[in-house]
Amino acid sequence: LRLVYTTTAVQRKNVGASGPEKYTEAFIKKQIEEFNLGKRHLANMMGEDPETFTQEHIDRAIAYLFPSGLFDKQARPMMKHPTEIFPEQRKIQWGEDGRPFHFLFYTGKQSYYSLMHETYEKLLNIQKHQDQLTVQDLPLQKGKRNLAGSRWLTKIELEEMLLEKLSDDDYLRFIQLLQKLVALPCADIEEEYIQKFSKEVPVQLQKAVIEPLQYDEQGVAFSTGEGKRKTARATAVVYDNGSGKITVNGIDILHYFPVLQDREQLLFPFQFLGRIGKHDMVCTVSGGGRSAQAGAIRLASAKALRSFVTEKEVEFMRQAGLLTVDPRVKERKKPGQEGPRRKFTWKKR
Amino acid sequence: QLDHGCALHTAARGCLSSVSTQDVPAERPRAIFHTNESDPAKHTEHHEGRLYNIPLEEVKAVFPHGLPHRFQQQIQTFNEARVMVRKPALELLAYLKGSNFAHPAVRYVLYGERGTGKTMTLCHVVHYCSRQGWLVLHIPDAHLWVKNCKELLQSSYNKDRLDQPLQASVWLKNFKISNERFLREIKTQKKYTWGKQETTEEGRPLGEVVDQGLARVRSASDAMGVVLREIKQQSHRSSFRLLVAVDGVNALWGRTTLRKKDKSPVSPEELTLVHNLRKMVTNDWRGGAIVTTLSQTGSLFKPSSAYTPQELLGKEGFDALDPFVPIPVSNYSPREFESCYGYYLERKWLQHEKAHTEDGKAELQFLSGSNPQQLDRLAGPL
Repeated sequence: LRLVYTTTAVQRKNVGASGPEKYTEAFIKKQIEEFNLGKRHLANMMGEDPETFTQEHIDRAIAYLFPSGLFDKQARPMMKHPTEIFPEQRKIQWGEDGRPFHFLFYTGKQSYYSLMHETYEKLLNIQKHQDQLTVQDLPLQKGKRNLAGSRWLTKIELEEMLLEKLSDDDYLRFIQLLQKLVALPCADIEEEYIQKFSKEVPVQLQKAVIEPLQYDEQGVAFSTGEGKRKTARATAVVYDNGSGKITVNGIDILHYFPVLQDREQLLFPFQFLGRIGKHDMVCTVSGGGRSAQAGAIRLASAKALRSFVTEKEVEFMRQAGLLTVDPRVKERKKPGQEGPRRKFTWKKR
Repeated sequence: QLDHGCALHTAARGCLSSVSTQDVPAERPRAIFHTNESDPAKHTEHHEGRLYNIPLEEVKAVFPHGLPHRFQQQIQTFNEARVMVRKPALELLAYLKGSNFAHPAVRYVLYGERGTGKTMTLCHVVHYCSRQGWLVLHIPDAHLWVKNCKELLQSSYNKDRLDQPLQASVWLKNFKISNERFLREIKTQKKYTWGKQETTEEGRPLGEVVDQGLARVRSASDAMGVVLREIKQQSHRSSFRLLVAVDGVNALWGRTTLRKKDKSPVSPEELTLVHNLRKMVTNDWRGGAIVTTLSQTGSLFKPSSAYTPQELLGKEGFDALDPFVPIPVSNYSPREFESCYGYYLERKWLQHEKAHTEDGKAELQFLSGSNPQQLDRLAGPL
């Protein structure tokens, strides 16, 4: 028997793969070159100018050349810059001699601890500055940060930034430290640093813009509204100085909606505002069944009536549910069941 | 009671300073939509939109079979028969008053959408004519003769035609109730043989023919044919005027749902009743008028949105009825709606609290679209 001397590296070959593939830098560089070349080829194919071919153009060209009916957008063919496709990975943290680059490597979470270290350094800096100012008897500047329109990074965003996993505890500690930092009076000095970790919260819900009244030839005020319900789509034009006549697709409502329930739905917005006999309405509707069409016209007329009415009443209408799109649609039938919820008859044997 | 009558009478003239009575505080608003004139001959535009009362005995005598079913139920509930005076009726009455009876009979066709009050207008006109002393030939619904007939006999008079004994006997009975005195006055002008044994001599009152038809149900349709022919022949000569009132005249020229024994479809000409009625509706006689209504509700094989004479009568019917005077009947005008609403309120038909408010009224108007039938149905559950 001959003793075969194998290294530990060779022995480890048959063990399972260790985590996600590591891409080398050279690999990523090659991908980027290929992407740029491909971009120019695509531009040529589409007859556009290769110099001014943006990502938008690429998306459109790919959607045109490879049409796909898949529902998930991520599953469709796409051509994006390699940095978006290949997730950022940490480069190897140690050199050829095996010595790690970072001094906190052996803590396990090197970027996290280094971040905490830096932040604490800034804190100490601010405190020193504060002390200096008190020594010189100069007034302390109050922090002018507006906390209302900003938020801290979420845990996931922080993980992405640091490229390593965090625990909830760690994240909390970091946020607490940041808050402590911001609470100090002279935090303006490190404003730049803090801004790296805060994001602007988008402005409050933009209120739906209420269009002003339009006037037609005779000087009668009117306004339009659109509504939908299930598969029905409706547009309504509400005229002022009317007598309560309503026309749907050129037909009187008595003939178009013989069922009382549908006419009650149409009546609701006017009755709520107490303007039953005051407006005329002309609507067009398509799709859906009779109930869906009635609901769609109701929503459209409520939206059109907003222009005639004070803001307070608009708020009342919104609370009454007249201005909300009804999200209920037909539920999908699942395989293995007879309908969306109904299961097949259960037979014992 | 005298005060009561006085208050109504003066208030009907539009003068609101009526004597205050102690019983019903709603006397004054009552008078606005009611009118004292129970003779249709005196109805004018002044009375438009108002309801007039027909005494119940008259109802039984004049309308044994004419009124719509819902209206009969309403009469039973309210214990009075109130009919609204509306523009189409006033128009028709004006024509009738001004027509020259030496000319051939003019045909009037009442048409309109479903539930706008054509049959009620017809009944109003029938009431007027019966008050004036005309002989009224009222066929409540011609559609009943072309569908759902259980018995079809082959006519003995003419081999091609089919008899409908049940319908004919029912009609003869009602005709007898409504026109008693004429049946005694009019005499037959020919000898008629019924079957093998019975005969009716010349010069006998028509009542005998009618009784014959009622007694021998088999020959009821023939009896009816005889009655119609006699009346038509004698109308321009005699002292009476003839009104032919047919409801649902489009049944005479459409299709039928009846089938012969060998499952072949029956066309309207093959029915004796329809054949005779068609002869009545042609304008080759004088001394009267023909008032008809088109009806989509009972019609066969016609779309529900059809309401014009063109659509409902078909080419054949239109040619047969041409020339005629079309009179459209439409939904309630705001004033008529108000009076109908006020009547329901006053009779406590609308029990819901909200129905008494202005908003409730606007709601009712919107939901019913001012259609009399819809309003009636809506007000029912309230």
